[in-house]
Amino acid sequence: MTTATTTAPPATGPSRTRRTLALAGAETRLFLRNRTAVVNSVLLPLLLVAAVPALGVGGGEVAVGPRLLVSAIGVMLVFLTYYNLLTTFVARRQELVLQRMRTGELTGTEVVLGIAAPTLLVTVGQVALVGIGVAVLGEWSAPVDVVLPLVALVGGAALMLLLAAASTAFTRTSESAQITALPFLVVSSSLCGVFFPLSVLPDVLATAARMLPLTPVVELAQLGLAGTTWDGQGVGWAGAWTEALVPLAVLAAWLGIGASLARRWFRWAPRR
Amino acid sequence: MTDVHAQPGRRPTHPRGDVPAVEVTDLRRRYGDFEAVRGISFEVRPGEVFALLGVNGAGKTSALEVLEGLARPDGGTVRILGADPLRQHAAVRPHLGVLLQSSGLPGDLTVAETVTTWARTLTRSRPVEEALAQVGMGDRADVRVRSLSGGERRRLDLALALLGRPRVLVLDEPTTGLDPESRRTVWSLVREMVRGGTAVVLTTHHLEEAEELADRIAILRAGRIELEGTPEEITGTQPATVRFTLGPAAPPLPALPGVRLVEPAPRVELHTRDLQPVLTALLGWAAAEDVALGGLQARSASLEQAFLAVADGDPTTHPTRLETGSTR
Repeated sequence: MTTATTTAPPATGPSRTRRTLALAGAETRLFLRNRTAVVNSVLLPLLLVAAVPALGVGGGEVAVGPRLLVSAIGVMLVFLTYYNLLTTFVARRQELVLQRMRTGELTGTEVVLGIAAPTLLVTVGQVALVGIGVAVLGEWSAPVDVVLPLVALVGGAALMLLLAAASTAFTRTSESAQITALPFLVVSSSLCGVFFPLSVLPDVLATAARMLPLTPVVELAQLGLAGTTWDGQGVGWAGAWTEALVPLAVLAAWLGIGASLARRWFRWAPRR
Repeated sequence: MTDVHAQPGRRPTHPRGDVPAVEVTDLRRRYGDFEAVRGISFEVRPGEVFALLGVNGAGKTSALEVLEGLARPDGGTVRILGADPLRQHAAVRPHLGVLLQSSGLPGDLTVAETVTTWARTLTRSRPVEEALAQVGMGDRADVRVRSLSGGERRRLDLALALLGRPRVLVLDEPTTGLDPESRRTVWSLVREMVRGGTAVVLTTHHLEEAEELADRIAILRAGRIELEGTPEEITGTQPATVRFTLGPAAPPLPALPGVRLVEPAPRVELHTRDLQPVLTALLGWAAAEDVALGGLQARSASLEQAFLAVADGDPTTHPTRLETGSTR
């Protein structure tokens, strides 16, 4: 077959998914070769679970497992998922790998997803480890709803990805991420309802805190796993879904904002 | 040495009406107030090598970034195989091979893993072994990228650029930092691609590389193409040089039309645009007067001379754009 025309010969290449998986596979291999990162990723959720008997908080009337899992989702998403994605993106940019990846058939979105794949997988694995851990300790109770926590985890991870991508605009090196990520880490985690219930705040502040990116994720996980609203009311399945409307809307809004910021701000090349 | 005429088989001929593979029209790029590329235009046809020369900061890489689909132009258009490299990404990319001036690869993957990963993202990938053999890295397949030498990394980069059998190849300083042998490997790879009909745009600081590979050369200065043409046409813009020494008893030089006397006797240097007749007249005079021309040298201008004249913005050799018969 000889085609010498300038119109592209009709060759179908690998699909978007296959291209992304190719890069994700290589990135996962890189992650697995980093022993320290692998060990840390497994140890951290186990330590979190070990804290339950160590601190003597378990064994009560109400199982602490669901509450612990909610906290784990909230804390891990910002401190591990967001932070690791930000440092990975910036490191790959400094190494000039991002620009290199972009010279081929991969689109920008595919490059970002492929590079994020190991971190996202680790997030899911760590949440699963905490869940299994508390179940082994006998601190588990049946969730009120399973969809809401899954939405919280998937939506939360997607939001962290978008915010990390957007944060590359003001993060020059992977070291400077320790500083540039700090405001988001501190504000969003302290005001997400994990460390203290938001209902202790004055109304205006509580409402403001509920609008922060991480709070709806924690609220949704808590509604589904523990059947508890943001201000501590117990609810059943129907009540959980009614109460979920606000956090679902807030999360959706943040996903929209995050997508537009990431698209506008993601930087592929180091500053010259 | 400007003996680049005698390579007839090198330049493939293309029938008129052949569609250019790369079309750049009035391309502009701006960084804030600074205009790095100020309206450049050129075309490259299939099977043709086009070299962009210029000192650092002349705008070469800024221009290439638009061809590579990595940057949006601030003015003008770029078409690769008739399509916009940025907005028609999916149409252009399967046919475009890119070698960036500096780029990185994850250090902890092996050479083979790196190429295999890249191959899985491509529409028409070469077999991995073939790609590695092509750049002489067949025996380095299991080495981590981190452990490669600079030259080996550059060759791996090139293997990735060639992996998808591109019809348009953009090479930003492909041989910078390579040893002479690797450089020759790169040259022969580029020639092989060109024989297969690939259009190549390259930048280089090595003028011999441009002379060796390029069918046409454009010299860029401060974001503008100051001079464009075949290597012969480019060197033809500069005068040839004749040097010799005269003994103390020698008679004064005759009047030679079209000659500029740069250095007077005893160490004479003449510049002329008509080397052959001037040399004939000079030798005739020397024979008639029985004068010895010590250490006689006569040479056409080199590409380097032309490049320096344009790159320095020498006003005495004010540049002109050469319209070559092959371009339009």
